[in-house]
Order: sequence, then C-alpha cells, then structure tokens
Amino acid sequence: MVLKNKLWRLFKTERGIASRFGDDIVRPMDKSLFRYIWKHSKRDQLIVCAVVVASQPFYFLSLDLPRQIVNQAIQGEAFRDGNTTAPFLHLGFTLPEWLGGQSIQIFEGFQLSRVGLLFGLSCLFLLFVIINGGFKYWVNVAKGILGERMLRRLRFDLFNMVLRFTPSALRTVKSSETATIIKDEVEPIGGFIGDAFITPVFLSLQAMTALFFIVVQNMWLGLLALGVVGIQLIIIPRLRRELLRLGRERQLASRELAGRVAEVLDGIEVVHVHNAYGWERAEIGQRLYTLFDIRVKIYNRKFVVKFLNNFLSQLTPFFFYAIGGYFALRGTLDIGQLVAVISAYRELPPPLKELIDWDQQRLDVQVKYDQVTQHFSEDRLGPQALIEARKAEEADEPLTGLMAAEEIRVSDSHGGMIIDNASFSLELPASVALIGGGSPAASIMARIIARRMPEFGGQIRIGERDLMQLPPSVAGRRIAYAGIDPILFPGSIRDNLVYGLRLKPLGMSEGDKREAERRIAEAIRTGNPVESITDQWIDYERVGAKDEQDLDRILVDLLDRIGMGNEIYMFGLAGWINPERHPELAERLVEARRRLRETFQANGMADLVEPFDAERYNDQATIAENLLFGVPTSPEFTGRNLADNTEFRSAIDKAGLTDDLVRMGLQIAETMTEIFQGLPPGHSLFEQFSFVGAEELPEFEAILRRQASQDAAGLTREDQTRLLSLPLAYVESRHRLGLLDDALKERLVEARSHVRKTIEMADIAGVEFYDPEAICSAAPLRDNLLFGRVSYRVANARVRVSEAISTVVRELGLLQDIKCVGLDHQVGTAGRLLTPQERTSINLVRCLVKRPDIMVVDGALAPFDEARNLQMTELLLELFDEQSLFMVLPNDRQAGSFDFQMRFRDGQISTERSAGPTPKGEQPEPEASQTIEGEVA
Amino acid sequence: MTLEAEVQSLRQVPMFRDIDPARLKLLAFTSERVQFAHGQRFFAQGDASDAAYVILDGRASVLLNTPNGEIQVAELGDNALVGEMGILSDTPRSATITAAEPTTALRIDKRVFLELLAQFPQMSLAVMRELAQRLERTNAQLVAQSSS
Repeated sequence: MVLKNKLWRLFKTERGIASRFGDDIVRPMDKSLFRYIWKHSKRDQLIVCAVVVASQPFYFLSLDLPRQIVNQAIQGEAFRDGNTTAPFLHLGFTLPEWLGGQSIQIFEGFQLSRVGLLFGLSCLFLLFVIINGGFKYWVNVAKGILGERMLRRLRFDLFNMVLRFTPSALRTVKSSETATIIKDEVEPIGGFIGDAFITPVFLSLQAMTALFFIVVQNMWLGLLALGVVGIQLIIIPRLRRELLRLGRERQLASRELAGRVAEVLDGIEVVHVHNAYGWERAEIGQRLYTLFDIRVKIYNRKFVVKFLNNFLSQLTPFFFYAIGGYFALRGTLDIGQLVAVISAYRELPPPLKELIDWDQQRLDVQVKYDQVTQHFSEDRLGPQALIEARKAEEADEPLTGLMAAEEIRVSDSHGGMIIDNASFSLELPASVALIGGGSPAASIMARIIARRMPEFGGQIRIGERDLMQLPPSVAGRRIAYAGIDPILFPGSIRDNLVYGLRLKPLGMSEGDKREAERRIAEAIRTGNPVESITDQWIDYERVGAKDEQDLDRILVDLLDRIGMGNEIYMFGLAGWINPERHPELAERLVEARRRLRETFQANGMADLVEPFDAERYNDQATIAENLLFGVPTSPEFTGRNLADNTEFRSAIDKAGLTDDLVRMGLQIAETMTEIFQGLPPGHSLFEQFSFVGAEELPEFEAILRRQASQDAAGLTREDQTRLLSLPLAYVESRHRLGLLDDALKERLVEARSHVRKTIEMADIAGVEFYDPEAICSAAPLRDNLLFGRVSYRVANARVRVSEAISTVVRELGLLQDIKCVGLDHQVGTAGRLLTPQERTSINLVRCLVKRPDIMVVDGALAPFDEARNLQMTELLLELFDEQSLFMVLPNDRQAGSFDFQMRFRDGQISTERSAGPTPKGEQPEPEASQTIEGEVA
Repeated sequence: MTLEAEVQSLRQVPMFRDIDPARLKLLAFTSERVQFAHGQRFFAQGDASDAAYVILDGRASVLLNTPNGEIQVAELGDNALVGEMGILSDTPRSATITAAEPTTALRIDKRVFLELLAQFPQMSLAVMRELAQRLERTNAQLVAQSSS
C-alpha cells in the first residue's frame, strides 16, 4: 500500500514534468506549410511585419521628396509669391471637412532661402535613403535568422520522425532518399520561411504605396497602372501552373537519382561480380536524361513567362510616356507630377515582380513540403516514444520474477501461423535455450522478448509488468539484443562499445557558459534538444566503473574474455597516442623503448632492428625518411608530394643533393621500365613492388628518352620532380639496386639539419621530428617502441621482433595501456574496417557492458566456427550467471547447459527444465561449464 | 651485393638458366634477400610451403626426420635452389633446411613466383623443362637400379 502511494505520487510529479515537456512531443507534420510556419514563428513574423509597416512612411516620404525638390526648390514654386524664404520641415495637416476642417500645426519649420531649401531637401532625401537602407538591413537579417531557426526545427522534426519509422516502413524507405530530403529538399523551404509572411506584406505595401502615390498624382494614370498590374497578377500565376507540375516531377526524379546512386554504391560488389557496369551506366544515363528533359521544359516555360512579365511591366511606362506626355503637353498635368509618377512607377515593377516570384516560390515550396510530408506520412510512423519521461523512474526495477507468455500468436506474410496460441512461463533469472529446429519461430520469439517485434498477438508479463508496456528507457537499459547483423557506427571501437551507455546526460561539461546559454536558448526556441553531446553521458556507476580509465579497463577485460584481446593489442600497436593527453604513458613507452633496445643487445638480436640515430643513415628506411628524420603530419610532406614541396626542395638544393637524387631517379626509372615491361597494367606485382604505377611507365620512358638526348640539367622542373619522387621511396636494403654509397649516405645525413631548419624556419607544422627521449605522436605506437626499422636482411626478423615487443610490453605492464589505445581504432563505415568476427565481438560486448537483466542472442555467433561458438556460449552462460540469457540455438547440442529448453514445433512452444544442471542459485555453475568442456574435448 | 649480383646467381640455377635477363631481374627484385645465422632454420619438415630459396652465399643442411632422430641427407652450397618443389606442388615441406654457417639466401615468395609463371610462358617452359629433366634422370636411375 505504501509503495502504491509512493508510485502514485511519483506518477503525479512525473506527469507534471511530462506536461512541461509537452512541446517536445512530436506531432504529425501540419498539412499546410503556412500553418506550420505560423504556428512556430508567429511572434517573430509579427515583429518583423511591424517593423516593415513602421518603415513604410519613410519609404513614402522618400518617394515624395524628388517631386518637392524639383517643384519647390528648382522650379521655385515655394517662392512664387515673391517670398525670399520658404518653410523647411514644416509639419502639419488639415482635418477633413466633417471634422471641422481646421489645420493643425505641429512644427512651423525653418525659413530657408531657395538654395538652402534645395540643399535641405536633398539632405533630407539622403537621410531617408539611409533610414530605408537601415530598415532593409534589419529586416533581411531578422528574416534570415527566422528562416534558419525554422529550418532547424523542420529538420529536427523530420529527424525525429526518422527515429519513429515502423519496421514495415523501413523495408520500403530508402535511407539515402531520406537523407537527401532532410539535407537538401528542405533547404529551399527554409529559405522561403523567412519570406513566407513578410515578403508579401512588405512587397504589397511597397507596391500599394507606389500605386497610391501614382493615384494621388493622377487618377487616370494610376488606374491605368492598376489595370496592367491586375492583368499581370491574374495571367502570370496561371501560366506558372505547368511549371509547378514539372517542378514536382523534377524533385521526385532527383530524389530517386540520389537513392539510386547510393544503392549502386552499397551494392557495388554485385556490380563488379556480374560486370553490370554497362547496365548501371545506362540506368544513370537515362535518369540524367529525364532530369535534363524536365529542366529544358522548365526553362522553356519559365522564360516565356518571364518575357511576358517583362513586357507587361514595360507596357505601363509606354502609356505613361504617351498618355502622360500628351496631358502634360495639353497642360492638364504638370511636368513635376509626370516626373514623380514615372519615378514612382520605377518603384512599382520590382516589388510586383518579386511578389509574383514570391507566389511562384510559395507554390513551389508547398509542393516540396507536400512531397516531404508524404515521405513521412503518418502510416509509416510508429507510436511516439513520449511516455519516456513519465514512467521512467517508476518501473525501473530489475526484470526478474515469473515470466509468463499467454496466447502468443504470430503469423507470416501469407497468413500461416508461425506461433499459434502458444503459452509458457518460467522463473527469471534463468538461461533459456530457444531451439527452433529449422523453423523461424525461435528467432521470432527471441525478437519478441527483446521487444524488437511489436506486431504479435497475446501478452508477455514479467512479474506484474507487461513487457510491451515497459518504457523505452527501461527496456533500453535492462534488455539487450544481439542479432545476426552487428550494426556499428563509424567511430572508434570505444565509441561503439559505450553506445548503449549513453542514455541521458548526467552532468554538464564545463565550457563557455555564455555560449552554452545561447545554445540552449536557441534549442528551446526551435524545439531542439537542450542536451549537448559534449556533456557527460556515460553512466560509469551503472557499469561499475569509477571513471573513464576504469571503464576502459572493463571494456578491455570483456573484449579479452570474448576472445578479441589479441586483435585489440594489435590495433593498439598500430594506434597513435597523444603524449600531451597521456604524459605518463608516453614516459613509460620511452622507458619500454630503452628496455627493448637492451633486450635486443642482450639476446644477440641487435641486427634485427636498425635504430633511428640522428648521426647515422638508416639502411632500412627510405631516403625520404632519412632526410626528414621524422614523420610527416600533413599531406604536403607525405609520399610523392614531398618531391614537390617548396621547403623540402630548397633544403636539398642547399645541401647539393638534388642532382644526385635526380640521377638516382633516372637509374630507378631505367630499371623499372626494364623489368616491369611486359606486365599487364594493374597487375598485382606493380602495386606491390614497383616504384612506378603501370600507367606512369610510358611517361617515365619519355623522360628517359628526353634525358638521353641531353644531360640532366636539361630536364624540366616537372621532370625533375617526377624523378625525384622515385629515390625518396628507395630503401637500400630492400630494393638492392646499389644506388647508395657511404659518401652519399653521409651527405644525406648532413642534409637532415638543413631540411629540419628550413621546415622549422618556414613555420609549418608538417613534420614531427624524431627524438629518442620523446614519443612521436605522428608515428604508430609500434614504431615508437622500436624507434627504428626492422631489418629486411635478416630472416624472420619481423616475427622475432614482434615476440620481443610483446615480452617487453608484458614485463613493463603496458599491455593494458596498449589495449586501451586499441580502443581508439576506427571501425569505418558500418564497421567495414573490421572482420565479421570482430564486428560480432564488439556487438556482443556492447550488449554485455551495460549489464542487462535480459540478454537475447539471436544468431549473433554465426560468424564463428563451431569451437569458438561453443566457447562463446559457455562464456555467455558464465557471464549471465545472475541475469537472464535467451539464446537461439540451431539444435540440441548445447542446450543441456541452459536452465530451460524452449522448443518450437508446429506453432507450439514446449518448455522444459534441463535434467542436468538445476537452475541458478541452487547448484554452482562450474559443473555446467565442465560438461561443455568435455564436449569440446 | 646488388641486384645484378643476384641475377648472376639466379643464372647459375639450372631452372632459371634460359630465362630472359629482364625477367630474372624482376624475379630478383620481387624476392627478398635474407640472412640466416648459423643453425637457423629456413623451414621445418611439415611446414606449409610459402617460399623457395636460392643460396647466394654460405651452406645449408638438408635434414630428414626419422624414427632415429634427424639425419642429414645432403648439403647445399652456392646457387642451390631449395623448396621449389613444395611451392609448385603445394605440399608441405618434405625436409628441414638449416643454415650450416652464416648464410645469405634469396627468398622467392610463392605467390609472386606463381604469378610470374602465369604471366610469362617462357618462365613456365623453363621450369617444366627442368622438371622433365629431373624426371628423366630419376627414371634413368630407376632403370639402372633395377638392372643391377
């Protein structure tokens, strides 16, 4: 009872929180773009509109001024009655007759002479120009920000919907098309949002002001302009309807193009295997033609409309000049008025044109918006994950107790029953083997338990709670699922392993407070999350870790146990460390470097590794490395680019080495063209051994021919650069062309200081130089340990050196640290830089590290061979000694070690307790694992 | 010792005698020159065959495992080719080879060697000729043995 009360109170407070978060709830997209814009940016739109309205009087006055300047100052109307002065800045108005017709004076104005008035009015004109410009500036910036905010909201809303796609929708939704929509297609919508309400208001006000002004000047001319404008406003949009249809077609076609390109790229292997290049090229070619064709039609139509529009705009001045001029000649219209009308009319077409453009854009964008909302239509989206905030705390208790499944029904796509009214119950925690015996039922049941499959009939309860009603946050924390397809995100191994631990930020990171406030304010304004990924997201306590290092230790330990320890160690050796972030480790590595050298000396292995020595040439390293005596950190100093690098070139020029190296280049080119002749281009031997790519051979042959006719000095700088790139990659002991003698080696060593000085003088961070007492952060850890190069000359050197390294690493207790470096290893897109076994291991450890109450393994061990499979099963049973493990097994062979065996036959489920080992807690586990070991043996 | 010297050594090997100098240079260039210390193994009987060796300088012993322990059946000197049968027939090593003194050898990688054979028929022919001659010699020895 007490508990119930407590829960109720919790529920109530959580409800309060939920309503506060009410704005975060993702609603379906509004059907109308304008409603969407209005709903989320009312306030800003109104403010900008108000400013626009406020700017109009100034705009009107600036239109009226030219007339005043001409009439009053230049033609001297104000001075007609012989006055020598006229009022300037006179403010006042006359009330209409029905209000008494009084004139009210606000400001009498200054009395100025004619020239004074001219300059006064001109300056006033200039002032208004500046004021109008200021208004325009503010409005443009405000519009831009408004649009960008709405774009951010729109994109985020769409992304939120991506997270809600139902499994069945995901079968038809193409990821690349969705990405295109969120990135590209909404872009013009965002650009339009800022203009959605303001532009029509602004422009029509402008147009109306101009029109009003013309009407005031001369009614007939005004009506004339109004008529033409009316025709423009009626005809042009009609002509543009076809354009819209074409625009819609184009949008779909280009979206499909993006989708198709991504499809081909994803399935590129099949294209290679079946030599389908021709077909794919033709496919894309056809699509491009369609796009082109639509565009041509659009252009034709668009420019016809434009022509017509321009013609209509120019028609009005024609009337003005002809008719207005006629009236002026007749004297019914004064010239000042005509000039003012014409100059006012100059102001009319641009806003009109823009208004028509705006209308076009509006329709265009509405079409785009419709296409976007269709992609994210309601029937494709699952229920919203919004209960989240409400029940999270309430139900977050271990998932143990009686698990009871009642009347589970699952049918296949043809309506046949895969699981037909099956029920079972078992006490958790327990290990359960789901034995399918060839039917998909076991795997489906596993997915149901892992909540990966919401479409089934019946109910599963754990204790009091309905499995499907668990809030996602609880399920995410307490249930883990490892399916057949390990999904990894690009990033480091560590990033992937802790992915399941990032449920919510636990603390703010320390940073610029004002910047953070600004970020959060913006997020709230645009309906975005206020959390930042720089916050502290990982719940160390929950995984039993004290801090970051401790978590690394746990991760490495789990990887070790799952059999990936050696790979992680290798990744670590190939990885980089940042001595500034890990000064202590850097020191210990330098210590290990020393110890390794001593080990080599003591065991007669000194000739296996030739150490880097500032005073000696290293025969096992390339000439480039010998000259740099360091590791390039920027592409300018890497590979062939080095030969083209200005600093490097000037340094070897100064050292007088250029001619020697070019000569070496000639010799290498000669040898390469001789011995690689006759090998077909693209042959693997080229890639592996040659200094020269197959496609470059003819070029080098040409250089050699040119050189034969003249001496080396006659070579162009380009030829020299090409030739120079060859010896830079030359390793004497590996390539054995006999190009280096002791004298030349000595000069190369001497040139080191030149190179270093030149590069340092130029102040470019391109090379990190070797220092025996420091870690080189640009070189992999293994190179840092060796601080030298393994000899090419000694048989089996590499293996023996690796063994020596791991001995020293173990002795100095560096193994753990190196493995932690290995966690930084990048997995590549979808984990493609790893083997399937490594991907699976990482997927499993990602599940294990969050210590779920229920772990569901559904075919995740498939990439392993049978022996590893057995070991892994045993390991999982051991790790889930205290929690529940559901594992899909193909047959009975290993089922004996589980507490329960769940069999699927003819849509029914039979559950039996293992005869051998009794459930956990009653009998120690080791016996179960011993039986497995027996089987293995 | 440079590539040229290695090519000279390869030329002394009967199997490579008739091959173009440019091809021999390619063979030498794509091989590794390695040093073995006294007593160091080239490979052991039963190992997978991954390379053939041409002894450039030094001597190596051919050892066979017998129930009575390892016995030496032959010694190889300069320009001897060893391990080529294994990489051609894709069978494990039939004997153990160890360096009888500090020895330098040219290690011809199996994959590279087979690719060169596939690429240049002239090389394949030279290898076949050598193998046929060996077979003929063996036949002659058998005839001699059975008639005696």
